[in-house]
Amino acid sequence: MNTTTLLSPSRHRFAEVVHRLEAGGAMLPDSPENLMQVVGIWKAYAVPMDFYWRDLLYIAERVFLDPLPFFKYFLPQEYLDLPNHYAGDTADLRVWRGPATAHPELLEFMRRGETTAMPRIFHHWWHDRINMEFAEECMRAMLWHRGLNAPLNKFDLYLDSPEYKANADRAIRAYFRGNPLMSSLYRAFPDLFLEQCRQASYYSNLGLFWEIMAPVFFEISDLYDEGKITTIPEAMNFVYNGIFAVASRPIYHHVYIKGECYEIIPKSCGFNWLHDAALPYVEAVFYRTSPFRGTKSYNAQAGEVPGDQKDFHYGVLYADKFPVGTAGIPPTLLMQDMYHFLPPYLRQFYLGRCRGEGDILNQLAISFQRSMYTVTSAVIQALRQVLYYPLDDPDPAHLKANRAFFESQLDRFCRPEYGMDKAARLAEIQTAAYR
Amino acid sequence: MLTLLILIPLAGSLVAAWLPRAWAVGFALATWFESLWVLQQFDLHTPGLQLLEYQPWLPQLGLNYSLGVDGLSLPLVLLTSTITLLVLWGAPLSIPPERRQLFNSLVLLATSGVMASLVAQNLLMFLLFYELELIPFYLLIAVWGGQRREYAAMKFLIYTAVSGILILGGFLALGGLSGSLNFDYAQIHPEHLSQRTQLLILTLLLVGFAIKIPLVPFHTWLPDAYVEAPAPVAILLGGVLAKLGTYGLVRFGLGLFPDTWHLISPGLAAVASLTIIFGALAAIAQKDIKRMVAYSSVGHMGYVLLGVAASTPLALVGAVAQMVSHGLVLAFLFYLVGVIEVKVGTRELDVLNGLLNPLRGLPLTSAMLIAGGMASAGIPGLVGFIPEFLIFQGSFSAFPIPTLLAVLGTGLTAVYFVILLNRTCFGKLDNHTSYYPAVTWQEHAPALVLTGLILWFGIQPSWLVSWSESTTAALIAAINL
Repeated sequence: MNTTTLLSPSRHRFAEVVHRLEAGGAMLPDSPENLMQVVGIWKAYAVPMDFYWRDLLYIAERVFLDPLPFFKYFLPQEYLDLPNHYAGDTADLRVWRGPATAHPELLEFMRRGETTAMPRIFHHWWHDRINMEFAEECMRAMLWHRGLNAPLNKFDLYLDSPEYKANADRAIRAYFRGNPLMSSLYRAFPDLFLEQCRQASYYSNLGLFWEIMAPVFFEISDLYDEGKITTIPEAMNFVYNGIFAVASRPIYHHVYIKGECYEIIPKSCGFNWLHDAALPYVEAVFYRTSPFRGTKSYNAQAGEVPGDQKDFHYGVLYADKFPVGTAGIPPTLLMQDMYHFLPPYLRQFYLGRCRGEGDILNQLAISFQRSMYTVTSAVIQALRQVLYYPLDDPDPAHLKANRAFFESQLDRFCRPEYGMDKAARLAEIQTAAYR
Repeated sequence: MLTLLILIPLAGSLVAAWLPRAWAVGFALATWFESLWVLQQFDLHTPGLQLLEYQPWLPQLGLNYSLGVDGLSLPLVLLTSTITLLVLWGAPLSIPPERRQLFNSLVLLATSGVMASLVAQNLLMFLLFYELELIPFYLLIAVWGGQRREYAAMKFLIYTAVSGILILGGFLALGGLSGSLNFDYAQIHPEHLSQRTQLLILTLLLVGFAIKIPLVPFHTWLPDAYVEAPAPVAILLGGVLAKLGTYGLVRFGLGLFPDTWHLISPGLAAVASLTIIFGALAAIAQKDIKRMVAYSSVGHMGYVLLGVAASTPLALVGAVAQMVSHGLVLAFLFYLVGVIEVKVGTRELDVLNGLLNPLRGLPLTSAMLIAGGMASAGIPGLVGFIPEFLIFQGSFSAFPIPTLLAVLGTGLTAVYFVILLNRTCFGKLDNHTSYYPAVTWQEHAPALVLTGLILWFGIQPSWLVSWSESTTAALIAAINL
């Protein structure tokens, strides 16, 4: 017995998607082409993500409050060798069968870039590098939308607690010890530095979040290459199972100053990966973010920007594939990063469509959107599992509650008052013509 | 030899009807080289006719095969050969392969006719080829035009036939009343006619050429013909054919009636300013970018008329330079509009958006469209600036108010091009519809050549000016005698 036999068909605008979710599927329709795009783009995403998480932790732990952080993207060898807790032989929980240190493709790209092997500073100036700005923008989206998922998200509440302020104060004083100018500034403007410290804590939060996602995507890609993942629901379920497997991974913020570790957010606080990093990340980056600073100005006074931050809809699920003057995290930076690590089959696929190499970044953007709808589907299914009932529950009342939950999630793509119904790409990804 | 300017495209029109496109382009290229040879042979410091050729044709009718070139016709010969070459080069973009050979043939036939009109030194010969144009242009619009092509082609035919009849009447009166044995320009001496007769004949010629240019209020055939015609034909209509009107105005109006010209020039200046302002305002009101460019053409021909009406050395040099400038810029704009229409599938201002998008838009086409808009608006550094500046400088002393209105028209030009560029190139592409095919380098090539010319004559305008300076100075001297 399944949901469709126990309940009458949904009358939601996206009824087809509701039924698919109820059957254990994803918002993205299952097809070999969709699967190839989703898995291929996850792999291409995971390689720069392997840089992002390492550099986010480096900035949070070492750069910290450096007023002139010119070299924050110059990842030291120590952080390239930092063992991932979910890959390699030393893993706490081995998600990916590959090495724990930085991905070989990443290291090769850092050496040669798109140009040739040369000192890192030249790669940096030529912008022939991983675009950490994208990762920072994601972090800022989380910081800017503080208070997400309260009271489940206790991490964010902790940032305003006296305990956090005391820990941060200790670290800040230690960091600026011997620097009278910065110490005086801290005395004059303590809140300014405290806010910077909160930002550093979000650097750490996102770094720890992505430390898990990179091996998850690497492993899915390997399984796909081995023919062990053959459908979109299988790919989604791998993410879904991964979410539960690592849900309790601690989220913390440590700072290393002159060889001493300052625990601004100790592991003992008990903040965990699912509630304090994954869910706020999805909400901030996939759904909300902020009006993108493009060539088009959003006129808040004309009602073009929602008055309430929870109604923001500029995330990747709504993002325009043409980034000029549109909403969302600057997508071109990520597309450029993923472009360097495309699996050969996906590159061939793009070269045969639309303008081929000429608009490959746009095609990437569309695949990325499809893949993120799949990740969001996994999160929605995970939330349903935590908050509601199993999909095969025999009680119609429980299935009704599940349906109401699914429909409420899909309502976020339907609201017309701010044009969300037009901005959301859920309808587009239902067809292969969207590319 | 000037005969080759006529014979090469004429032979090409016969050959191109049966052979592949490369032959047509080859004949256009040969015509272009021939025009360069003419330029090379031409002495810029001699005001009179050069490279003369003469053969009796039908002496009983006063029709002789008399050719020559001066500083008035030379720039237009160069313009015609250049635009013909670019049109045939870029034609595959807009003209489907079926019957393309016939298209190529008709374009070369039209070019042959225009060349003959420009170098003819006999009134009847001029008129013969002037009328001959109608056949290829009628067919080019009627066969390859848009949905209302038959209406547009017929309207074009009727208007220009009327234009030809008026000019024929003027020429016959001129030949008959002046007592000339033939219709060679050199034999026509209307100065012996009474001023009233001169005025009557001049009016016939003026109205005839005003239809061809066209000037307000004789312009109503133009938007239909330009818009319904495919882009290459619109380029020929605006870039080449319209110039026969302004050429005739100077050659036969100012050249043959220098005394009477003073009487009508204030009225012509008023018509010029009316044409400029009307063209600009009509362009602002359009929702179709091709129609907008067509009305822009109407307005810009008003500058030529203002310069000719003022009849000062600066203004007349500016008017001739403006003919070339207008031909290049209009060809450029129509070509780019054609590219947009073919790739995007619409010319509607309310539908087009974000074409500057580097990945899925038409970025280079849009960038060139911006340059074309700037050139048309007379931005310094581009070809449109110096001719307009010369006209304003030369006309202000003679007709200050029409000149100020013309300056206002330049401002309005900027207004409609800002509207066009803002809506077409800027903004963002539509996620649902923007799967436009890319523009290939082959398709870009004609526009890139025009960009080069527009830039070159913008920073080196002395070339444009020097070609016609001696001839126009001689014309003005004849008026002031």
